Amino acid sequence: MISRVADSCFWLTRYLERVDSLARLIGVHHSLHIDAGPQTQQRGRPLLEFVGRTGFYRSLPDHPSVDDADRVEHYLVWDGSHPASLHRGVQSVRENARTIREILSHEAWEAINDLWLWLRSNDARRAYDESRNDFYEHFTRTAVLFHGVSHASMLHDEAFTFMKLGRAVERTDLTARLLAIHHPRVHKTAEGESAALLAALRSTCAFEPFFRAGRPLNLTEVTRFLVFDPSLPRSVVYNLDEARFLLRGLRREDPLALPRRSRQSLERFRGELIQMDIGDIERRGIPATLDWVVRSTAHLCRAIHDDYLNPPMAWLRHCVRVLETVSPDEGATRAA
Amino acid sequence: MEPQVSGKEALVLRSGTRLDGDEPADLFGGYHPLPRTFDEMFDADGTPHPHMVGVADPIRRMDRTEYRRLQRLASNAFLRGGITFSVYDEDDGDPDRIFPFDLIPRVITRTEWNRVEKGLVQRVCALNAFLDDIYGDGRILAEGLVPREMVHSSKAWVPSLVGVRPSGKVRIHIAGIDLVRGSDGELVVLEDNVRTPSGVSYVLENRAVMRRVLPQRWERRVAPLDEYPSRLRAAMSAVAPCAEGPDNAVVLTPGPFNSAYFEHSFLARRMGCDLVSGSDLFVERDRVYARTTHGPRRVDVIYRRIDDDFLDPEFYRADSALGVPGLMKAYAARNVSLINAVGNGVADDKGIYPYVPEMIRFYLSEEPILRQVKTYICDRPDECRYVVDHLRELVVKAVGEAGGYGMLVGPTASREQIELFRGRIAENPRNYIAQPIVELSTCPTWTNEGIQPRRVDLRPYVITGNGSWVLPGGLTRVALVRGSYVVNSSQGGGSKDTWVLEDA
Repeated sequence: MISRVADSCFWLTRYLERVDSLARLIGVHHSLHIDAGPQTQQRGRPLLEFVGRTGFYRSLPDHPSVDDADRVEHYLVWDGSHPASLHRGVQSVRENARTIREILSHEAWEAINDLWLWLRSNDARRAYDESRNDFYEHFTRTAVLFHGVSHASMLHDEAFTFMKLGRAVERTDLTARLLAIHHPRVHKTAEGESAALLAALRSTCAFEPFFRAGRPLNLTEVTRFLVFDPSLPRSVVYNLDEARFLLRGLRREDPLALPRRSRQSLERFRGELIQMDIGDIERRGIPATLDWVVRSTAHLCRAIHDDYLNPPMAWLRHCVRVLETVSPDEGATRAA
Repeated sequence: MEPQVSGKEALVLRSGTRLDGDEPADLFGGYHPLPRTFDEMFDADGTPHPHMVGVADPIRRMDRTEYRRLQRLASNAFLRGGITFSVYDEDDGDPDRIFPFDLIPRVITRTEWNRVEKGLVQRVCALNAFLDDIYGDGRILAEGLVPREMVHSSKAWVPSLVGVRPSGKVRIHIAGIDLVRGSDGELVVLEDNVRTPSGVSYVLENRAVMRRVLPQRWERRVAPLDEYPSRLRAAMSAVAPCAEGPDNAVVLTPGPFNSAYFEHSFLARRMGCDLVSGSDLFVERDRVYARTTHGPRRVDVIYRRIDDDFLDPEFYRADSALGVPGLMKAYAARNVSLINAVGNGVADDKGIYPYVPEMIRFYLSEEPILRQVKTYICDRPDECRYVVDHLRELVVKAVGEAGGYGMLVGPTASREQIELFRGRIAENPRNYIAQPIVELSTCPTWTNEGIQPRRVDLRPYVITGNGSWVLPGGLTRVALVRGSYVVNSSQGGGSKDTWVLEDA
């Protein structure tokens, strides 16, 4: 498929995943205040940390306080002037969807477009004022709706593969970040470690699965679960396995023996991770390990870009010349 | 037609929230056709034309609240479906607008349509032969039937393409021929569009929305439109340069910021083609390739929605970032087919239009089936004198312009506008033609003043590959402003579903 289109497929789901995570995270922290009591105002800090906007936020013209949680929340939801807000996130999802409207099914497009139209309507403002929980659920439900409806109404072809690949790498990255900001050293809440761990589980959709798996609630177990559990859809390993499966499928469709850096990058990353156990991670330091996961994911994404989404022109021209000498009549393959 | 209308206005018109206490119960109550104007649905005395009874009555039976509700449903369907065009000159963050639309169809009988269809195919055939001729031997120029000077001074003329014959010998794969119905009730040709006529996605989507929204059961069948994408795809295959094997066809768009992006994406989706931007393609050894996830892939046919000038920065405008460097060389080497062909603008130049009946006689040895509007060519001194003396009664058009720009509508123009055009014509007569005003027919149209007569035109689409095919009906554009003759969406126009009503 056209590389630029694959790029939009990849980014559509990445942005959607970000919107989904941020909405869930803010929702979780919004409901923490009952437990947290007077410390409730500090709930804005991990949110800013999560999207990496603490510095930007502090330097806004009116020098807002990071402890003004309502202000932080408003900034992260409505402020269209920075890329990390939900508003901009939804806009980016929709722009990507509009660009590849020819790929999406009508139902899949409407799921996205409806979210955008809703967010710009008075209904959304009213939900924000009257029921914050309903407000955030609107985003997370749309994400689920999109994944379901695209699965049910679109060809499971290469475009769909890139949408799933975007989701997998984004989830790898987001789970590591969500765990990192809830690390007790970062997230100092009044109720201590357990509230932070519960928030980490809730914001990764792992709350019920964790207890169903019968694990005791402590940092080691939560980390092990979110990083290694092979059946948890948002765990790091689950998503690396998914990405690996998808990249293998793409490689099988290569008409030429094209060198693929993304495969190498992923194999090295995944190989290193699955050789570790939780003890290794704790010795290395959980925050340091999570940081390594984030950096390795970024490396993988760059490789995917070079291999598939934005291949260098010089390399493409080289391919043509190689192919023309091999079979001058046929040139590069015509088949889609 | 590149729709660019103020959408806010459009939304008000469509939702029609005005509530009057004492409206007539009949939806058409108080509807009066304009004097000396043909109305598509009603006779002068307000009774429906005999063939319109079956269409008018079910609509008449709807009450206003019900009609408004359906009209709102239709607006929502367009908005949710993203069936929009973009306007980027406003402060509001969201540039996407819906194209104004109302539920009262414009209806044409099968009997009339059969004649129109034949006339359109004949016309496109002659225009195609004309292009092939002027980029070939130039017989018609040698015979003096069309002034050589008129062809060679056209902005769209590409001398370097003389001798380059596109594969399949087709140059006008898609034509949009604008028709209008004057006060005598006859459909005549107002304008030809043989470069990149747009608007067809609205025709298909209008029908889809009508189907979804209108609950009535109609007495007669309406000719379906669904074939368009497959017909176009087949025409593209028919002119592919590769002799055998599946051809790889793409739709080339200027990009998501283009006002008609929805249409480009719609056509690609329905034809199962890739939608590409200029930067997705490259040329190597005079062959066109797409940049794909699995390396380079040959491209055989390009349905380009980019004007000639922007196709290839090496050939035309060096500042064009939309095109593909080297594309024209690949085209001239016949390694790729472009739809429509390059240089077609000569045939729909407003200065060439007066000669089309002559072309039909010359190339086809037939009499034109469709008449066209009497046209004065300002380049001819006596005709120019007549025009300058009668500006009040005429419509003056700049030959190089489209979209309703550069136009003077004499009867409604201000004294300043008249003088402005008088000066312009004197300065550059070649650039102007003039026509007597055509009292465009009206169609009952939902407005925020209730149902009112509004002037309409019709753009049918003709596809040519192996033979020609005409989409039944076409795009009916509506001049939404009371009294206006200008239907272009860039100037406040809307659209309607167009029905070719099959015989009982």
